[in-house]
Amino acid sequence: MASDGLWLEAEADRFISLADIDRSDERFRITTRRDSGDLQSSIRRFGLRTAPLVLPADDGFVLVSGFRRVDACRGLGRERIPARVMRRDASAYACALLAVAENSLERSLNPIEISRALNLLEQHVSGGKLPPEDAAGLGLPAHPAQIARLKRLGRMPAEVQAAVLEGALAPAMADEIGDLEEALGIALAQLFRRLRPGLNKQREIVAFLMEIAAREGIGPEQVLEQAWKGCEGSAGDQEDRNQQTHCLRQCLRRRRFPALAQAEENFHALRRRLKLGEAIQLAPPRDFEGTRLTLTLSFETLDDVARLRTKLDELIDRRDFRTLLTGKPRGFDGTSGV
Amino acid sequence: MILDALYVDRQVVGRPETEAACRRLGMPAETVGSAAEVYAAVAAAQDPIGRGKRVLYLTRNKGAFVKPCPGTRHYRCCGYKILHVGTFCTMDCSYCILQSYFHPPVLQYFINHQEMDHELEQLFATRAVHRLGTGEFTDSLIWEPWTGLSARLIRKFADQDGCVLELKTKTVGIETLLDLPHRRRTILAWSLNAERVIRAEERGTAPLGARLKAAARAAAHGYPLAFHFDPIVIAENGEADYLRAVERLFAAIDPGHIVWISMGALRFMSELKTIVQRRFERSQIVYGEFIAGLDGKIRYFKPLRMRAYRALAAAIRAHAPEVCVYLCMEDDEVWRHALGFTPAERGGLARMLDEAAVERCGLKPAGEGVGPVDS
Repeated sequence: MASDGLWLEAEADRFISLADIDRSDERFRITTRRDSGDLQSSIRRFGLRTAPLVLPADDGFVLVSGFRRVDACRGLGRERIPARVMRRDASAYACALLAVAENSLERSLNPIEISRALNLLEQHVSGGKLPPEDAAGLGLPAHPAQIARLKRLGRMPAEVQAAVLEGALAPAMADEIGDLEEALGIALAQLFRRLRPGLNKQREIVAFLMEIAAREGIGPEQVLEQAWKGCEGSAGDQEDRNQQTHCLRQCLRRRRFPALAQAEENFHALRRRLKLGEAIQLAPPRDFEGTRLTLTLSFETLDDVARLRTKLDELIDRRDFRTLLTGKPRGFDGTSGV
Repeated sequence: MILDALYVDRQVVGRPETEAACRRLGMPAETVGSAAEVYAAVAAAQDPIGRGKRVLYLTRNKGAFVKPCPGTRHYRCCGYKILHVGTFCTMDCSYCILQSYFHPPVLQYFINHQEMDHELEQLFATRAVHRLGTGEFTDSLIWEPWTGLSARLIRKFADQDGCVLELKTKTVGIETLLDLPHRRRTILAWSLNAERVIRAEERGTAPLGARLKAAARAAAHGYPLAFHFDPIVIAENGEADYLRAVERLFAAIDPGHIVWISMGALRFMSELKTIVQRRFERSQIVYGEFIAGLDGKIRYFKPLRMRAYRALAAAIRAHAPEVCVYLCMEDDEVWRHALGFTPAERGGLARMLDEAAVERCGLKPAGEGVGPVDS
């Protein structure tokens, strides 16, 4: 990466007409923000502190850096602005380097901006591979796998990119969504923007959808639609995001693991019938695979212990409890046939 | 066996067994200094697992030839001993655990048979009942066309009275074994499955009918037989498919020829799931109702296993009430539900199988002979 001085027409800024800047040309745009209201206030009060960077073209200028500043000036009704003008023979890669540097060295780029930066640089670099020293100098990731993942982000549907920008979708999850059909990816991005589940829950939802679809031989978008309808019916629009997320996950889990979910419900029903109270917790073996149940007792005083003893004596005589331990089939069973 | 490449470990170059194997294979061999060179060549392929099925490495077994089956304390193990003659398989079953067991998996055939013979002689000298098999890390019969290993082992086992060899396969390549003087010391065993599972999940294996036909021929030549419904794949409406397989089994085979029949539901290490998804895109086998078992392996939800075993066991017993039926790697709760008893009630699973071997294979162990009662 060479000094930008080598690529500038002159050291001093030059005043150019805003009308000469082709605003429809966004080939060097990095920033994802579109608004410029805050910049208008700043420019009105303190003036344009840093001149935009432009490249001379046959008919006016191509904007390299300063998209929001140009919009702000236009919004303020300015006709001419100071600009740093690049040499006409500056390479596209030089322009890309400066476009990225003017953003990445001033602030933290969001994942979509990093993606745009990487795609822009690799589009113009000789040989198609970004030199690690340029990536490091710009504060961009240098690991090939990370670069590949981030570059892909910038090519994803707008809805997915918006979900990432809002923080509703982690870049890693967006990458996984990128492997899916576009319509499904968009539907999931919309869902996650609406519900805001954490990464693990997002992964679980996607895994359930794909596995149910594979097993039932239908499209995952159909599974999602059916599950979501079930949740809308029970949770309604008034419920908060967490409840709707919980409902959706439970609905999908019941469909993915019907026998296990049924066994859990049977066990919970049996536990409710036992009326154990808050001081006694009864837990089944994990996934009902082992044979050992766990009883947890909570107490503070000897009187509490005495009460628990009485309760345990009663429990031993309860048929439901004995069924749980020795019955055939055991209390949790009641699953549908194979 | 269709091979793309043959590698020979420098340490076994020039041995008569190596020369014979190379001659029978009739393809150029590359000598390598270490297994790492072979692994690197396999790992570089786009599908290393598929590639590993077409690359053969002749080498020596640097560890024990006879080793205990790697059971776990959470589930009942049959106490079988592995005769470790080679690794991996030329057939391509979606659920094959060997895909994730070796890194990377590659066809290895061990040449140092003198050491194997020595270990077997030591075992034979105990004159106790031992059950050995070559079908744990490979299919027992894929090597036969160019090694004659099974024929050699059958003859060797025929010369003693305490041990029984089980050759387990999904092939029908028994032609060269039929007329051997086996003295019933070798059990020819077939993995069986529902026809639908065989077609969908067991690429390159013999169809169910062909396996049963081969088994019937083996029985006609006096071989004791065994069958393994393993892995049982639990799916909606799948039970009827298995019951049909049982019907076909007993339509082809007289129960009097059968030493034992095992049942084992599909179970696998979690790493296998992504391998199946990648290599067998159309397979639905990993989308069953699985949980993590006590040994860390992925298993079907227990009541589903119990129900499947129970139905299959009832069908088997209806045809063959005298045949020893057992479960592979299950706990007492499952045994009781599926078969109506626990192994401990009959002296332990190892003893049950030893006794079946004594009775059906005519073993004559010294003294007590049969294996210990398992806990």
